[in-house]
Amino acid sequence: MEEKVVLSGKFKLITYILIGIGVLSFALGFVFDAERTWANYLLNNYYFVSLAVGAAFFGAIQYITQSGWSALFKRVPEAMAAWFPFAAVFFILMFFGMHSIYEWTHDEVVQHDHLLQFKSPYLNIPFFFIRVVVFIGLWIIMSRLLRKLSLQEDEHGGMDYFRKSEFYSKIFIFIIAFSFSLFGVDMLMSLEPHWYSTLFAGKSFIAGLLHASSIIALIVILLSKQGYYKQMNGSHLHDFTRYIFMASIVWGYFNFAEFMLIWYGNIPEETVWFVHRWEGTYKILFFANIILNWGIPFLVLMPRKSSRSKMIILPVVLLLIIGQYTELYYIIWPATVHEAKFGLLEIGTFLGYVGLFSWVVGTALTKASLVPKNHPYLQESIHHHF
Amino acid sequence: MSKEYILGVFNDEATLVDAFEKIKAKGIMPVEVFTPYPIHEILEGMGKKTRITHAAFFYGLFAAVGILSFLTYAAVIDWPLHYGGKPFNAFPSFIVVTIVATILSITLLTLFTFSARAKIFPGKKAEIFHERATDDKFVIVLDPESLGADSKAVEEIIREHGEVE
Repeated sequence: MEEKVVLSGKFKLITYILIGIGVLSFALGFVFDAERTWANYLLNNYYFVSLAVGAAFFGAIQYITQSGWSALFKRVPEAMAAWFPFAAVFFILMFFGMHSIYEWTHDEVVQHDHLLQFKSPYLNIPFFFIRVVVFIGLWIIMSRLLRKLSLQEDEHGGMDYFRKSEFYSKIFIFIIAFSFSLFGVDMLMSLEPHWYSTLFAGKSFIAGLLHASSIIALIVILLSKQGYYKQMNGSHLHDFTRYIFMASIVWGYFNFAEFMLIWYGNIPEETVWFVHRWEGTYKILFFANIILNWGIPFLVLMPRKSSRSKMIILPVVLLLIIGQYTELYYIIWPATVHEAKFGLLEIGTFLGYVGLFSWVVGTALTKASLVPKNHPYLQESIHHHF
Repeated sequence: MSKEYILGVFNDEATLVDAFEKIKAKGIMPVEVFTPYPIHEILEGMGKKTRITHAAFFYGLFAAVGILSFLTYAAVIDWPLHYGGKPFNAFPSFIVVTIVATILSITLLTLFTFSARAKIFPGKKAEIFHERATDDKFVIVLDPESLGADSKAVEEIIREHGEVE
């Protein structure tokens, strides 16, 4: 069962080039249009940390439900969780761009704004960064702990490690549910601090799970094309697509429920957010979000045949990758850049993050046997069939 | 039940599947197999593929389109009323009704389709081949006419691990 991923020189070269493009885009961006670059910075930071959180959640759920089918693939979510330390550094560096992104950081605005004064015990820069450090710190600690248990299990075997992992996973999902909800509110909802939506946290959480599970499926499919995961069959793929399918339905439901209730309630404090986003490009994005994140996965992945075919899953996953981008763009841009500007800056910075993320995940995958050894459900996973 | 059947009764999955494969290898198709839970080999081996999922999809499609057009007709074309300053075509608010009513129509229509295809109706007397077929036993039902000359061999196969009734 010993199987190690070897990163080809080509893969490393591509990631270095992508990272180079990203660094260059940020450097040029800060010189010419700092505000827009900070918006890009926030978008990409949030994009990739949501993938890592979603993957950590995915991994924890597999332990808690004692799922047999996913035992083969548990190294992939573990590797994606290796992004957390990088995310921590990036989010802390956001300190220098706070004034460009968040309205509530400007003292002179807060002085004349009763609501922002009321919110200031929560929304202030020191407490904001305390939360960032505590939340990402907790994610790092918990994901490291699970990773360590998983590697020890490889060496010693036995049921103890699995039981411990299951117990820590139970704690971990509570931590994620609480901290990632507040994290989404801090990072995205406080861009427009006058706006309220109770469903926002749930929506950003499920968006993380949706896109993380599609990225996990993508990585597994790419690895199998390289000749790894020989035991993988259609049933495994079907289970991956079930996760995507389920999360996309929940996302569609939350997205619609949020919009419909605000539209029907028609309270000015709530509708203002959608009014900004109901003109020009943003209106197109509003519908594009629904089609990319819910419509296409829902219709395409419904039949049994298509949810077992790599040829169909790959394009859906790629569309979902775009879907998460358009969703975050739709949330962040009207509040920071105002105009819907999209150009080389956005593409370059995103590619930079893609390169770094692939490098981090790829390196983490090489560090341990791709197929876990001594996992109690490994045999069940190999013979998975339904 | 007027007709006579041969029953093979087994205690576990492995022996049932084993006997099932052997009987099929003789070119005999069992009339029915009762198992406490779905067994993949049996489902495939019986060669019965359900089309009810496709039926359900189209019921859902037609129900969704039908309900949406009915709501639009009722609220926009036939009898427009102002509710809380909303436009006549209050599309987002139709969706909730559509989802719920679509689920209801799919459930009912698929239930009726299934009942019609399986010839089940309220008050029908149940056909019970074996008392514990719906309990913990694995039962193969064979039509003695289809066995012909092989009937001795088939009984041998069943007797290997199960019992013949």
